[in-house]
Amino acid sequence: MKKISSKVGGLKNLMFIGALLVLGLILLLDIYLVDKILAPLEYFYLFFAILVIFYGLYPLYVNRRLTKYYWERTKRHRLAVFGLSFIAFLIAVAIIGPFLTQDPTKVNFEEKNLPPLGFSIQQSVYDLKTGEFVTRETPGTWKHLLGTDDKGRDMLAMLVSGARVSLQVGLLATFIAILIGTIMGVLSAYLGGWADMGLMRFTDIMMTFPFFLLLVFIIFIFGPSLAFIILAIGLTGWTGTARLVRSEALSLRTREFIMASKSLGASDARIIFRHLIPNVLSSIIVIATLSIPAVILAEAALSFIGLGDPTVTSWGVVLHAGQRTLDIAWWVAVEPGIMLFLTVLAFNFLGDGIRDAFDPRSQL
Amino acid sequence: MKRGGLQGYIIKRLIYAALIAFGVVTITFFLLRLGPSSPADKYLANMSARTQDPAQVVAAIEARYGLDKPVYEQYIDYVVNLARGDWGWSFSTSMPVMKLIQRHWVYSFQLILLSMLFSASLGILIGIYSAVKQYTRTDYLATLFSFIGISIPNFWLGIMLILVFSVQLGWFKTFYDTGLPMFSLANLKALILPVITLGTGMMAGYTRYARSATLDNLRKEFVKTARAKGLPERVVIGKHVFRNAILPVITIIMFDLSGVVFGGAYLTEIIFGIPGLGRISFNAIFAGDYPVVVTITLIGALVVLLTNLATDIVYTWLDPRIRYD
Repeated sequence: MKKISSKVGGLKNLMFIGALLVLGLILLLDIYLVDKILAPLEYFYLFFAILVIFYGLYPLYVNRRLTKYYWERTKRHRLAVFGLSFIAFLIAVAIIGPFLTQDPTKVNFEEKNLPPLGFSIQQSVYDLKTGEFVTRETPGTWKHLLGTDDKGRDMLAMLVSGARVSLQVGLLATFIAILIGTIMGVLSAYLGGWADMGLMRFTDIMMTFPFFLLLVFIIFIFGPSLAFIILAIGLTGWTGTARLVRSEALSLRTREFIMASKSLGASDARIIFRHLIPNVLSSIIVIATLSIPAVILAEAALSFIGLGDPTVTSWGVVLHAGQRTLDIAWWVAVEPGIMLFLTVLAFNFLGDGIRDAFDPRSQL
Repeated sequence: MKRGGLQGYIIKRLIYAALIAFGVVTITFFLLRLGPSSPADKYLANMSARTQDPAQVVAAIEARYGLDKPVYEQYIDYVVNLARGDWGWSFSTSMPVMKLIQRHWVYSFQLILLSMLFSASLGILIGIYSAVKQYTRTDYLATLFSFIGISIPNFWLGIMLILVFSVQLGWFKTFYDTGLPMFSLANLKALILPVITLGTGMMAGYTRYARSATLDNLRKEFVKTARAKGLPERVVIGKHVFRNAILPVITIIMFDLSGVVFGGAYLTEIIFGIPGLGRISFNAIFAGDYPVVVTITLIGALVVLLTNLATDIVYTWLDPRIRYD
């Protein structure tokens, strides 16, 4: 992966800095001139998109031969391809879906507990004409393809909104965790001595906390908001990455090519950014892909027990509502769970495929 | 190997564990102080102080719990109290936190123990079988199922089990019955769904680990030797491969406590209404009863610490190849 940088050179860096400047400009504009264009989360998101384009997609585009090689290897994993296509579908849904579906927060008690299309249930309904409750057959309608919940909110719209939340949380929190973990790991391996000791003992302490208990504890203290949940998961989930990066960096540090560049007078920063990080990147990508589902599940679990952001409609929130109406409306609990399950499964399949594809030792 | 080596190693591990425990306590203390609302506010929100001047009440509470002292004194008090076994007062249940824990830990314990037994035994068996029959249809099926097991959100699985077996079929109660005696068949029956809920994900994980550990060992020379000297396949697998493959899997099972088991048990207890530590922490959160929440977080970390310590020590004792330095 390290051959990429020499080919691309200065232009890319310039464009990257330019994009960051534009983002900063928007931020300044937002703070000083206009009253709120974007929510704080959106900045996170734009920054993330810029990073992915410049450090993910662009190198892959420039280095088509390598891209093709990785693609060939990933493609042989049929399950990984399924995972990738499902994730692509989900991203598309999360981006354009909310413009096509109804408002997921719109309450309508006249259309409550409608089953998905093709199903039909008996339930007591308030009759507007007589003013009495009557038991009536309520079939699923085309207007609400996947049914409605006990407040008459459209399930499809809520699921689409949930896809957006889950992907936001999954990608951003993982990104933060990986970033912190990589910095910790590289620093620890590179500085050595007392710094290494201190950082690794801190990692050990963080690892001792059961992840979910710590998360619940932090949310309990600081209060639930989506941005904070993302931050909390990111700030607690970096330990595994730190250990992995440290051990890989330690073994790399003594390799010939790094020794060679050191003896040629390369600075520490240059060695870290040009040699160390590109070489641990494949492990980082694998661990990132495999930790996205864990993060998505953590957010869903928090929302499910009522510690999620009350202002967003995530799958966990819908599931929480569905648990209460299990005996009347089974679909409210079933549908978000299936989405959650498929998403996690897709990321797990993809992660497994990528791991095999990046591992030069594995024979497919 | 010298005997002193092992003792020295154990002493070293113990000191190290004590240091980590100290770090854990310190982090929880400062997290609490970093929060936007002070502990006194949380008390206030839960005491009917409407008739009095809130500022006075806050001052009284702060004086009573030592919250008016400088932070470092509070910190010292906190550590000393923890060490003396005084873990605070739960005002939502009006009893010392320690007493509350004593009353409820056993529910978590039975759930976690049964789930671990269930998932470990089944997971290891399926994993080894799948490895021995590598690339057969059974193997693919086991791999697929382990993927599904890992990916299925356990709280959703719990709800689905309730939906099918309790709501639709009516085989089980939707809520755990706390009145049952601990060692009875009825209690075991009440725990079936929770154990499956908590155990499925773990089982899937152990299946994968056991499979890959067995595959690693099957390629080793000693297996060839065992086969060459004419041992039946049953003995080769059951004795030679099994014993070598099981060690890494058991380590993983013990280390799993931190990530998977506690989080899973927390959610499982909430879904099924089992009054274990997760459930009381959950209730305490919504009552703003922070001493309980803190204590349960701490207990989780300490249990992880002790199991890791025990695993390390037992492992060195079980596996003579390990050197203690």
